[in-house]
Amino acid sequence: MSIIDLTSMAEPEGEQQDKINEILKTLKEDIPNDCYQCGKCTSGCEAFILLELEPHKVMALSKSGFIDELLNSDVIWTCVTCLKCKERCPQDLAPVDVIFALKNIAVASGKQIDTGISNMLQSVLGSGYIQQPKEVVDKDNKAVTRDSLGLPSLPAPKEIQKLQQVLMKAATETLG
Amino acid sequence: MDKIGLYLGCLIPTEQYAYEMALREVLPDLGIELVDVEGVACCGAPLRHINLSLTMYLSARNMAIFEKEGLDILAPCPYCHQALSEAKHVMENNPALKAKINSNLETEGLTYKGTIKHYHVLDLLHDVIGIDNIKEHVEEPLDANIAAHYGCHLIRPNDIPRPDDSENPQKLETLLKTIGAKSDYYKEKLDCCGAHIMVNESESALTKTGQKLQAVEEQGFDALTTLCPWGHRMFDAKQEDAAKVVGGSIDVPVLYYLQLLGIAMGKDQNTLGLTLNLSPTDKLSFIEEEI
Repeated sequence: MSIIDLTSMAEPEGEQQDKINEILKTLKEDIPNDCYQCGKCTSGCEAFILLELEPHKVMALSKSGFIDELLNSDVIWTCVTCLKCKERCPQDLAPVDVIFALKNIAVASGKQIDTGISNMLQSVLGSGYIQQPKEVVDKDNKAVTRDSLGLPSLPAPKEIQKLQQVLMKAATETLG
Repeated sequence: MDKIGLYLGCLIPTEQYAYEMALREVLPDLGIELVDVEGVACCGAPLRHINLSLTMYLSARNMAIFEKEGLDILAPCPYCHQALSEAKHVMENNPALKAKINSNLETEGLTYKGTIKHYHVLDLLHDVIGIDNIKEHVEEPLDANIAAHYGCHLIRPNDIPRPDDSENPQKLETLLKTIGAKSDYYKEKLDCCGAHIMVNESESALTKTGQKLQAVEEQGFDALTTLCPWGHRMFDAKQEDAAKVVGGSIDVPVLYYLQLLGIAMGKDQNTLGLTLNLSPTDKLSFIEEEI
């Protein structure tokens, strides 16, 4: 079912719209009100052909307040963040940032997200990095590590608990 | 400039070791002393999906640590570089937000003032070290036509300072010419590598990787060069997987620009991490057979 089909049954949600605007304000980005649906974002969208992401429709739906439909659609997770939509918008809008804001709201409202993404958060909270140094194989299939390559050890936060604590606090704060 | 703080982010120091080896090997010869700084962590960009405040905090935190050391930053990962640029830009234009972030930084004994600069390898080489200086270090010019891949986050968005033009970047081509190579234009130059959705939409991600590599191959390039660990991982380590997804075989050598520069400077090829490139780099005449 496409997003457009879903909206035929929906009521606009003003409160959710405010949340998007709150996030966009942080970036001093404009809310989608000025979008006149030229479709330039979609024509250059790197996720359009493969994954049917149509940023101009995301803008239209956000503007009209159909936020739950967007939050419940996988389409917001198909953005490759190439940033071409933001670059090329004749109205200086940023569909990519609207999509990021929608993802943030989806996460905050407890929607299930891909474990690959939640694992990165867990890892940063635990160690400061999205992953720990890996053993990789070289051309001859030989396993190597930072150590065996003579690279210095990875710098790490001195007090990880403190970082964890601040991140948990920051996550609940609006920045606007 | 002589000293610069090295900020590697997550992907380079946890698996893209060739990039780190090449930059540690090459940049000091060009007069740049790299300083490792303790206490840094992720730039926050990968957490932007989850919560923008986390991204802003982590970027500000890293900049505050380098600022405390009195060092400008070299961020060789475009994704990190863009996160730092955006956090810096947002805090410059929003004092209330800067104050909020600073009150959190205090918990970790840090403050962000905004007095330091950050660079990527691209602008460090092209604008700071300079083309003439690099030219003087070239001992073995490379005879090859090499496709340039910048990485989306390195050049966009242009409302914050980026190291090169968003629609027609040319610095990498200039750097390739400086080491004797040719770098023809190809229309897929600004196409995305797909890395960003590798975690949740791997088949589509690999399709993007494969399509760009096929375009590079069909247009007769000898190799593809990158400035981004995310793009490099897709084009190099995932090349075989990408070939399977798009059908047919792909045989494109993929090298970090700093590896190419090191080769042209006549460096011992063992020191440039070339054995870690999984793409068929041995096809290239200037790659030594036994390294």
